[in-house]
Amino acid sequence: MKETVFLVLSRLRRPIIVVITSLAISVFGLANIQGIDADGNPGTLGYFYAFYIMSYTATTIGFGEIPFEFSNAQRAWITLSIYISVICWAYGLGVVLQMIRDPVFRQALVRGQFAARVRRLTEPFILIIGYGRSGTVLAHMLDRIGYRSIIIEIDADRATQIRTQEFQNYPLSLNADGRWPDVLVDAGVTHSQCQAMVVIAGDDDTTQSVAISGNALSPNLRIIARARSEIAEANLEPFAKIEIINPFETFALNLGKDFNSPDKLRLEEWLTGFPGETRPDILRIPSGHWVICGFGRFGRYIAKALTRGGATWTAIDPDPPEFSKEKNLIKKMYSQDTIMEAGIENAVGIIACTDSDSVNLAAIRRARILNPDLFVAMRQVLASNDSLVEATHPNLRFNQADVMSHEVRQLITSPLLNRFLAAIRNDSGDLSARTASLLENAVGDRVPFLWVFSAMGAYPGLREAFAWNPESPFKIDDLLVHPNDPVQYLSAAPLMLVRESHEILLPEGHTKLLSGDRILFAGNKAARDLQRLHLLSPSPLPLIRTGVEPPRSWVFRKWFESRNAK
Amino acid sequence: MNIEKVIFGFFVILACTLNFGFFVGDPESLIAHNATELFAALVINLVALILKLGDHTQIGAIHLATSLVATLLLACSAMTWGWQVYIAGQLLDAATMATIVSFSGGALTANLISVILLIGETLRQTR
Repeated sequence: MKETVFLVLSRLRRPIIVVITSLAISVFGLANIQGIDADGNPGTLGYFYAFYIMSYTATTIGFGEIPFEFSNAQRAWITLSIYISVICWAYGLGVVLQMIRDPVFRQALVRGQFAARVRRLTEPFILIIGYGRSGTVLAHMLDRIGYRSIIIEIDADRATQIRTQEFQNYPLSLNADGRWPDVLVDAGVTHSQCQAMVVIAGDDDTTQSVAISGNALSPNLRIIARARSEIAEANLEPFAKIEIINPFETFALNLGKDFNSPDKLRLEEWLTGFPGETRPDILRIPSGHWVICGFGRFGRYIAKALTRGGATWTAIDPDPPEFSKEKNLIKKMYSQDTIMEAGIENAVGIIACTDSDSVNLAAIRRARILNPDLFVAMRQVLASNDSLVEATHPNLRFNQADVMSHEVRQLITSPLLNRFLAAIRNDSGDLSARTASLLENAVGDRVPFLWVFSAMGAYPGLREAFAWNPESPFKIDDLLVHPNDPVQYLSAAPLMLVRESHEILLPEGHTKLLSGDRILFAGNKAARDLQRLHLLSPSPLPLIRTGVEPPRSWVFRKWFESRNAK
Repeated sequence: MNIEKVIFGFFVILACTLNFGFFVGDPESLIAHNATELFAALVINLVALILKLGDHTQIGAIHLATSLVATLLLACSAMTWGWQVYIAGQLLDAATMATIVSFSGGALTANLISVILLIGETLRQTR
């Protein structure tokens, strides 16, 4: 705001000086010219009256000859002053109007307001650089899990789109180039409430430079960057605070996981999906021979994953980006013959991963004619082709936006979620099956909200709860009862309890809570809000245990005691 | 419904409204301020004070503090009245009435805070 005021003043310096000078001259003249006062004695008007008269005359309000009739000399001076001052005022107003219409000035104004609003934020937020398809999905996902986002987008059309979309917490957005460090600072990269910066610019070069300048401006900030090439990944590797997501690689990794442990993958997707939506289906990707159409960056990751999963593959690409010695690569167009040559008749599936939706669709259509039972996986490039891709009914669809939002949710929600997912990945027993049945009981087939309940004894409510009844201490089960209405249960399931440095996976309900414990819960949002009542004094624990709210003051306690004694 | 909350709320709000009833009107007017109303306000404030005793929560402590302030100020107000009429043996004049009413105005502020606390706590519980 301060900058805006200075900007306006610096533009208006000349007109203001002109207006002041003209006013000063006319006031000085009028104050000193001989006139007649109310009693008919000669005298001057003085500065107070002169300033008053010139103020209403110069702005063309014109009250008449107040406080008393003017002399002719005064009238002549006023006439002259009117012409001078009207010209000066007109010039001044003209400059003001010109300034308001100036796009550069307006941009500076918008920028100043944006920066001021960011500075005033007191809630945690996440900074998103780039509002393409991935940015859109991510911003909505963050909104759903209760984060405010701040968005920087270089394209003016896309930046205005943000305001027309529906959010619970409207994101603050600015149409600017995130590569400029001052834009990042205005967007809150150094703000104490900035939780993380997610960089998903259109190309890897921009992403790299934004991520690196963000790191330079705020060395302790978590930065999550999307890198699609190995070069970009290698460039960002040395920065400890920059986490890299390569959507191609992630998707291929997940594909590989699906061969070996489909349940774990499904659980992971279930926990990191878009809250409130239905859980992902199990895929059962067949093992055998695969045809890969398109052998660019994405195709290569897929091929690697297939090899690791024990499947064979043949790739087709008329123009592979680099010289490749792969013997399974056919350098021909995606014609029927080529697809035949790749062994489609004996194949279990086809993966269309060129960077053109129409080529992918055509390849799939041809392959299906030759072998109708194929498992079809396809990459979707443009968001606008949703309905086309839908009509093809692929068994598996890859789009960067979904992969990005799953990954970012994993990283952002809580470090505890990451620990839990890591434990699931490394587990060789039935942990994922048990987690799935717990989740089913708590949220059915929906994607749950995830939150961490911190049982810090410093909260007045928890202090009371820990001390309330030493014979039957505070347990996890108590957190799963509706704190205002103890006959109801909350839709939530405890996934992990972290005590000091060790973790208890899927803790039992009768686990005793200690101060400092942190519990990762999955469930619905209302359950999380209700659990917070445990932090407040008076603690809802006595009500949960006994079904009766204990009297709080001395008089009522005596009264209840006597009533219960009867 | 919790009977404790009904009784508690009744007395806290009655204490505030009676206090307001006594306070409104020209401070120097001898007919705008009723002695019985001041007496009732003082008694109800005392009852509210007793009801608030023994609540160990943090909000309960502030509740108690507001009641202590309100009761103290209303007692000052009543004692000024009594001193002027029965001890000094003079007639009640406009200046004394202004003092009495201004004391009750202070008590009203404390009672308002008490009502705000009551509302705030209720909203917090049902959110």
